[in-house]
Amino acid sequence: MEDIEDTDLVALEHDRLISAVSKLDKTQHITEPTRNEPTNLNSEFNLIKRTNKLNIDNVAKVLEDTAHHVQISKKLKKTQSGAKVLSKPLEKPQAERIKRATGYEETKKKVGRWDPVVARSRTVDYVTFPIKHVSAKLEPTSDFLTKFKLKSELEKELEEVDPQPMVEDEEEEEPIFPKSYEEMVEYRQHLAKMRAQQSYKAAKAKRQSKIKSKKFHRVLKKEKLKQELKEFEELQKRDPEEALKKLEGIEKARALERHTLRHKSTGKWAKNKLIRAKYDKEVRQQLADQLSVGRSLTKKVQDNQSSDDEGDDEPTPNFTLSQDPFNPWMVQRSDKSNINAEFNFGYKKFVQNKLNKHKESDDSDSDENDVSEKDISNEKPLKNEKSTSPEPKEEKSTVTKANKEKTAAPKTKKGKRQLPAAKLKAKKPLATSNWDVETVDDTDNKPKDNLEYLKLKKQKTKAVIDEELMESSSKTAEGMANEEKDETISELVKAAQTPVQESADSNIDPNRFIEVKPKYLNTAISQVENEYDQLDDDQVVPRVNIEEVFEEDDVVASFRQEKEDEINKDKPEDINLTLPGWGAWGGKGVKPQKRKKNRFILKAPPKMPRRDENKGDIIIKEFKDPKLAVHKVKDVPFPFESVKDYEASIRAPLGNTFIPEKAHKKLIRPSIITKAGKIIEPMDEEELLVPKNRNFKNQSVIKLLGRKK
Amino acid sequence: MKNPKKNAPKRYFDVEEKNSEHKQQDVEVYTIKKNNNKRTDNNRIQKRKPHKNFKGKAPINPEKLEAHSRGEGVGKGVKHPLHAEKLKKKERKYTYAQEQAARAEILLTEDHGGLEVDEDVKTTAISQKIIAENVDISAATKIFELNLDFGPYRAKYSRNGRHLLLGSKKGHLAAFDWVTKKLHFEINVMESIHDISWMHTETMVAAAQKEWLYMYDNTGTELHCVKKMDKILRMEFLPYHFLLAAVNEFGFMTWLDISIGEVVGHYNNHLGRTSVMAQNPYNATICLGNSKGVVSLWSPTIKEPLAKILCHKTPLTAIAVDNRGMYMATSGVDRSMKIWDIRNLDGPVQHYRLRSAPVDLEFSQKDMLAVGLDEVVEIYNNCCSQTTDRPYLRHRMAKTITNFKYCPYEDVLGIGTRSGFTSIIVPGSGEPNFDALESNPFQNKKQRKEAEVKALLDKIPAELITLNPFDITEVDVPSLQEQMEAKKKLLYLKPKKMDFTPRHKKKGKTQIARKKIIKQAARQEFIEQAKEAQKALDLPQPEAAKKPSFGVLDRFVPTIKNKK
Repeated sequence: MEDIEDTDLVALEHDRLISAVSKLDKTQHITEPTRNEPTNLNSEFNLIKRTNKLNIDNVAKVLEDTAHHVQISKKLKKTQSGAKVLSKPLEKPQAERIKRATGYEETKKKVGRWDPVVARSRTVDYVTFPIKHVSAKLEPTSDFLTKFKLKSELEKELEEVDPQPMVEDEEEEEPIFPKSYEEMVEYRQHLAKMRAQQSYKAAKAKRQSKIKSKKFHRVLKKEKLKQELKEFEELQKRDPEEALKKLEGIEKARALERHTLRHKSTGKWAKNKLIRAKYDKEVRQQLADQLSVGRSLTKKVQDNQSSDDEGDDEPTPNFTLSQDPFNPWMVQRSDKSNINAEFNFGYKKFVQNKLNKHKESDDSDSDENDVSEKDISNEKPLKNEKSTSPEPKEEKSTVTKANKEKTAAPKTKKGKRQLPAAKLKAKKPLATSNWDVETVDDTDNKPKDNLEYLKLKKQKTKAVIDEELMESSSKTAEGMANEEKDETISELVKAAQTPVQESADSNIDPNRFIEVKPKYLNTAISQVENEYDQLDDDQVVPRVNIEEVFEEDDVVASFRQEKEDEINKDKPEDINLTLPGWGAWGGKGVKPQKRKKNRFILKAPPKMPRRDENKGDIIIKEFKDPKLAVHKVKDVPFPFESVKDYEASIRAPLGNTFIPEKAHKKLIRPSIITKAGKIIEPMDEEELLVPKNRNFKNQSVIKLLGRKK
Repeated sequence: MKNPKKNAPKRYFDVEEKNSEHKQQDVEVYTIKKNNNKRTDNNRIQKRKPHKNFKGKAPINPEKLEAHSRGEGVGKGVKHPLHAEKLKKKERKYTYAQEQAARAEILLTEDHGGLEVDEDVKTTAISQKIIAENVDISAATKIFELNLDFGPYRAKYSRNGRHLLLGSKKGHLAAFDWVTKKLHFEINVMESIHDISWMHTETMVAAAQKEWLYMYDNTGTELHCVKKMDKILRMEFLPYHFLLAAVNEFGFMTWLDISIGEVVGHYNNHLGRTSVMAQNPYNATICLGNSKGVVSLWSPTIKEPLAKILCHKTPLTAIAVDNRGMYMATSGVDRSMKIWDIRNLDGPVQHYRLRSAPVDLEFSQKDMLAVGLDEVVEIYNNCCSQTTDRPYLRHRMAKTITNFKYCPYEDVLGIGTRSGFTSIIVPGSGEPNFDALESNPFQNKKQRKEAEVKALLDKIPAELITLNPFDITEVDVPSLQEQMEAKKKLLYLKPKKMDFTPRHKKKGKTQIARKKIIKQAARQEFIEQAKEAQKALDLPQPEAAKKPSFGVLDRFVPTIKNKK
């Protein structure tokens, strides 16, 4: 006991000593607060993460004593394990949003049911109102009359005695049961369903927003893309026009993408990298990749057809503005930061590589080393490339490619770690394909690949037929050919002797219009003339050709002159703006230079061919009649996009003097027919069930009219 | 009227009724392929299975369907789905109208008449007497002659062919129902009458007298004296425009709108005195023939000729335009007759030489051309599209002809002569089926009034008289283009896309272009062949003279372009 006390004492003493010692230096020490008691309150000492929930385990632990209690505790645990804790409700705006979204879906579906009805009534020739068909059957008169009854004498007397009280029309108040029980139940179920849907959506949104996995998002994105592709393919099968439109939309989106500055060196990430890139090659690599992605996105899709046309005569590769080495604005300046000088990746590298290749091929492998120097310095060799024809160029490029691979090896040894990048490029032709040397081939192949999925799958490949198939023994065929040849030759020889013009007689000669062979008709000789003839006979006057008497020689000439004048009248003339003596010697006898004169002549537009051209002695006046123009249509109304279509739409008459009465009635029927004196009730939902509405299948119209603005 | 003598009422009882006028009507049988693919419009209808006993509607003769076609319909140019659908429906109605029209032809029961002769007999050998003996008595009464005293007569039939108007140089004016021979009125205006014309109905008549134009009603009462129109030589009435077109001695042309009494066109044609006039029923232009052999086409609103055709080298004697406006026949003093393609303004299609110069020409409704040669009328059948050898009919009279007209809807030619009027039968000249809403020979008073109102409502404005009557259905492309250009200049406005190609291209141009292309191609081909032949023959080629070489300086030697 004493020992214990002793030690206690010693400890006390010791403490006192220490405190005394510590008091020796006069500084005040702030004692750290220490926890002494567990608490339920949140303080800086204890952040309570436990909820106030009762922990069943603890409770059950108390009951572990007796066997009976053990059972109870087990039961308790069981219930606990089965129970689920309700998740915290979403934030209010988010919840609202979801609510709105589901509500929209719901109403969209509800309203959407009417789409075919609306579409049908818009497209149909005419609609009649009221919609509800009232049977037009007339009640037989006898039936109608049975409803009326004459009062008997007795009744009349009784009425006199005891007049019936006037029945006042009391408006029966409708019982205020807005909904029947079933309806209520249905309504509630509906509400519950809505709520459930909302909660599903909320849960899903919450879950997905929590997922941080990049892979998941990537997969999600891919799935979306796939889905879209699938839809597109289906659309293509169903409605190619629509598909084309969609494709256009996609194209547009791509263009937008091009304009946004994604995958450029302006982002935060890129800026960070840029700083590091100065010292870290790896980072440089990443940046380069990123930029190349951007470039592949901003690259213009080449037009197949146009490139085909131009490809032959212009072997120059396609450069965008920024990449054109001939563009003086894009030429590198020497005083720019050295980052540019060092960054030998991407398009610059490509251009330079290309330059090298040409240089190499031109110089025939003489200077393979010190490639980089040349890269930076000169861009002149490109000009050589222009002069070379496309065919040899291709050959060269293939050759140089091989060379390049050889030369690549020493480069790596030199420590310029650029090979992986180059390899990467070689492996990924998609990103930089149009930067390849073989541009001619590329333009042919690449878009094909890209548009592969756009093609209709059911296309049958047709056999390419080069020659006609002729089943005949070779000998006979040859003989035939020879014979034919001989024949044709003999014919041709004949033809060759005759002048060229004669062979053209198979064609239409403009002179035909003037000269038609006259046909002499055996007409009756008139009595009158005979009489005169007889008179003439006595006098023996030689018969005069009447034609010659009346014919005026200048009739034809004057008519042709008139036509000539008419043609010349409205021919636009050249305007001469030369000032004699301007910039040259003037005066009498000085002729202005021909070249100078031509410079100041404004050429008139070429004349449109006239209607009476080549028609012989016919003049057709060509002028616009202003009085007729008033009556003519000057504008093509909305749905039409071509004059031809519009003219076709007004081509047929509607009047009953031109077409049969039945057709006329059909054509002039008004689009809305209403029965006179009938109340037109709004449509009810029964209209949805009418087969003609249900069977209306014109999707494009439904889509158009159902489109939300 | 002075005792109208009917010709030959002698054989009233001994007539054997042989109807040579009407051909035997065979039942036409068509073999029509069923083409299910062609008509996608009525898929729904075609899906219905035909009942074995009731095959559905009778097939339509494709030729007739083609005849009633209104041309190509609206294509797939309209992108808007709703409007495209509506247009499709409209197209369906148009095709329905076309089909109905083709089906309705079954109602045209009458067939045109004709002459059937033995192989060795020419139709010209058949005189009016023979015809009169062979037709039924009611038809035979259509052959008659009126001997009248007041000098050369001009005759015109009303539009429905029921009434006849006679006007003589010596002032005799008479109108009567020529079928029943019921006289409406008969007066002497005591002035020379140069031309006469019916108005829109048979109740009004216009007479171009010595000084002015007068109008009379069907009792002979003078209604108007139009002093604006003086010294008129020839008149034509344009029924759809309600215009009375006239040309006077001084070359002034006048169009009088008789529905409102206004002159819509009045100007000098600078052709001098022209007494040869005809109307083109296709486009209501007036054809004038002058003394220089030029036919010019005129409309009231434009003071210049729409077109001019040099037809003959000599003065013209007569012009006639056929009912469809396809062909124009002209004749000159040079005793020739030419047929022109007046629709395309092309030709001549046919050129005939006659023994004497025709006095008058006239096309019937079935395109039979009557040619008046002093006192003989010759009728040519089918002389436009092909060259004929001989006339179809010939009628000789003892008096010279002033003019003649075919009676519409009858096989009758009425001839105004120096001493009266002669009516002869020309089998097959008239349209056998008349449209009672258009012009009804059996019209009663009420129908006439109704038709008058309708015609007035359907009156076509005078401005629409142009060479191409379908001008009005075409869009004014030049001004449309101008409009579009102006709109393009506006800022912030998306310009509308528009395809300006018209529905009907100007055929004249393309035709010529095509010809040229064909010619060029043929020439090219020939040259190729010739070259090959030369190669095959191994003919010694004429060696080109060697050019002196200057070595490097060759490039400065001027090259001589070898012309074609």
